[in-house]
Amino acid sequence: MAEQTQNLPARTRFRLKYRRFFKFEFLLGALLTGVLGTLVILSTWIFPEGGRSVDLLARLTPPFLSWEHPLGTDPLGRDILERVILGGRISFAVGLLSAAGAVLLGTVIGLLAGYYRGIWDTLIMRFADIQLALPFILLAITVIAIVGPGIDRIIVLMIVSQWVQYARLVRSSVLSLREREFVQAARSYGLRDRKIIFGHILPNALGPLIILLTLNVANNILLESSLTFLGLGADPQTPTWGGMLSEGRNYIQTAWWVTVFPGVTIMLTVLGLNLMGDWLRDELDPLGRTSR
Amino acid sequence: MMSTIGGLLSHLPRRATLFAAIVATLPIVGPGVAGAQTILNVAQSRDPQNLDPIDTFRLAWGSVASNIFDGLIHRTEDLELEPGLATSWEFLDDDTRIRFHLREGVVFHNGEPFNAAAVQYTFERLLGEAGAAGPQRANYTSISAIEVVDEFTVDFLMNQPDPVLITKLAGYGAMIVPPQYIEEVGEEAFDMHPVGTGPFQVVEYSPTIGLELARFDGYWNGQAQVDGVNIRFIPEAATRMSELLSGGVDISLDIETTSVDTIRNNANVDLVTVDGPSVTILRFNTSEGITQDPQVRRAITMAIDRPTIIEAMLGGLASPISSAQGSGSFGYDPELSPYDYDPEGARALLAAAGIEPGTEITLDMNNSNDTFREISQVIAAYLSQVGLELNIRSHETSVYFNDILANGRTGEMFLFGWGGWTFDFDNTAYLLYHTGERNNPYIDDAHLNALLELERSTYDVDVREQALQDVAAYAHENALDLPLYNTSTLYGVNQRVEGFVPAPDLRMRYMDITVN
Repeated sequence: MAEQTQNLPARTRFRLKYRRFFKFEFLLGALLTGVLGTLVILSTWIFPEGGRSVDLLARLTPPFLSWEHPLGTDPLGRDILERVILGGRISFAVGLLSAAGAVLLGTVIGLLAGYYRGIWDTLIMRFADIQLALPFILLAITVIAIVGPGIDRIIVLMIVSQWVQYARLVRSSVLSLREREFVQAARSYGLRDRKIIFGHILPNALGPLIILLTLNVANNILLESSLTFLGLGADPQTPTWGGMLSEGRNYIQTAWWVTVFPGVTIMLTVLGLNLMGDWLRDELDPLGRTSR
Repeated sequence: MMSTIGGLLSHLPRRATLFAAIVATLPIVGPGVAGAQTILNVAQSRDPQNLDPIDTFRLAWGSVASNIFDGLIHRTEDLELEPGLATSWEFLDDDTRIRFHLREGVVFHNGEPFNAAAVQYTFERLLGEAGAAGPQRANYTSISAIEVVDEFTVDFLMNQPDPVLITKLAGYGAMIVPPQYIEEVGEEAFDMHPVGTGPFQVVEYSPTIGLELARFDGYWNGQAQVDGVNIRFIPEAATRMSELLSGGVDISLDIETTSVDTIRNNANVDLVTVDGPSVTILRFNTSEGITQDPQVRRAITMAIDRPTIIEAMLGGLASPISSAQGSGSFGYDPELSPYDYDPEGARALLAAAGIEPGTEITLDMNNSNDTFREISQVIAAYLSQVGLELNIRSHETSVYFNDILANGRTGEMFLFGWGGWTFDFDNTAYLLYHTGERNNPYIDDAHLNALLELERSTYDVDVREQALQDVAAYAHENALDLPLYNTSTLYGVNQRVEGFVPAPDLRMRYMDITVN
């Protein structure tokens, strides 16, 4: 293989070497997530006012009329473009933090349960089954009613309800991996359990985990929007995509732009993340790689 | 005979059976209805949850049940009191006895006659065990006993003077109920399928979905124009609007101010407004935090430009207020004007009180109020201009009212909206300022208690008015709360509806309405 490619022109060699990146899913997904992500990261410096400056005289200005408010203004005269970009902070923070928290917790529990088996495995997995039967929105409404609203609580709730998926996934990988020869060999060398689990088993269980993670980030962004829409999330002044949708719905017949722009942004973000997830799935799937 | 026809028909194909069945029933109901039935379709945001007059204090109940029940007194849409099931009344024995002369020939929907025994039963039930379980009893405890004089005369014996009693007999807990029917079906069945003397009778009540009413032909005071009313409970404001604009409903109650432009731009639907009893105020936590200081409370009040909020956010459909009552309320003092918008003065007061710029305060509210959700953010913007950072916490509605507010777990400020349907400041002022009231977690003031007890204990109109105005002035002077505005009651009405009279207190009566 290596000798054959050396005879090809440099441009073709480059394309062959990086061909996995010249796929439609990856390019579009990376473009969407990259542009939105960069804007969101920079938003705090671009808009130091935090999207809170109210101007009642300019309320419900239509979009595309002026450079001052390119996407129009909301019922309080706040700039929609500014709020859409700032709103991404909460959405991305919730999406990433909750997925990261859940993946950490779920992976550790799944690894331990799958490696050691026994009574704890049974208990944890039955508990996980019970938790999977609880609808998240219902759980969220109940808990928020007791502890009060807030973005931090939403993140904790998401972690608490989503670790189960990761734990089950990791555990099932571990169950088959722990019987494989390389693990048996490591054990016969006298390696300690901790080294076997994190050095040998975990790296081999990572593939499906990463895919689930990307899909869940997108999912969590949607969930955050739903919760804020229901009034359970952030302070209403803080710009969030779900909150903007919720505020705009009473104006949908007279001022479509208040809901359409945050709605489209949610769609593009989730689309971008899902495309990346699809691409990662193809890349990390052992069968998919060999068939190429 | 019908059963034989049914037996024969069962051999025919299904569709033919149905057709034949319709033809068979036609001659029976045919002559009664000349044309098609006219049904009035109404949307309102909330379900009363329980139709029994003594189990409710919800405006949603008033909107439906004023069509089912009558009281001894009737209050018109202009808020005039006039005879209802009582034709006249007189005060006897130094005002300790009120004698009512009852209307003859009135029947309940089930055919039961209305008489003094029904009145006695109604009030003994309200003041007894059944009433103690509900929220209405507390409004009528000034009555000690009911005496039947003869079949159409009844005496109310009073514990203490109750200046608002005659008004209260026109509403809510004082609606006359049928003794035999309740004894027969029981309290729980009455909650779901009540019987009254009103122009419409209940056909079916489906909790959270809707209520079907049919015209009661034996009504004592004329006839309803439509054959039935179909009331649907639609909590989501945007859905209510779509139904109204698409003609799915003829009348929509509970129009959000945010929808006003949408209705005004639509050719088929009219916006009908009337001065309402509903006031929106922010209350202060007067026992903890920086709002303990009256200077700070006054500064916050001065920092908010209420006329601009009313113009820009409420489409001008509200009026500024200086106390928790509108101008139509007994106890309103036109001399008492709200604090002017004065951000400079507010900053100076805050500095004098030693409040650092950037101090954070918290406003608690319920999450079901779309209009106020926007206004709260405007308030935050105004407060940030005088150096206060406002955090807004919104709670699920029942959590907010039953826990956060009732147990005094609010931040520095909290939202309170109230519509005293009696249009007498007594009701609102007592529950806002008297020590130990459920909606008053923080204020405990001997001066206010004395004024409130004074106005409750006399029939002297001048003394009462003065006492209520003093309460309002004292609350204003000490900035105990921040009166925001008195909103108009808004209705969306399709142009095919005729004879719609807006009820300021949301106690809708559908009997004189026609649908073309």
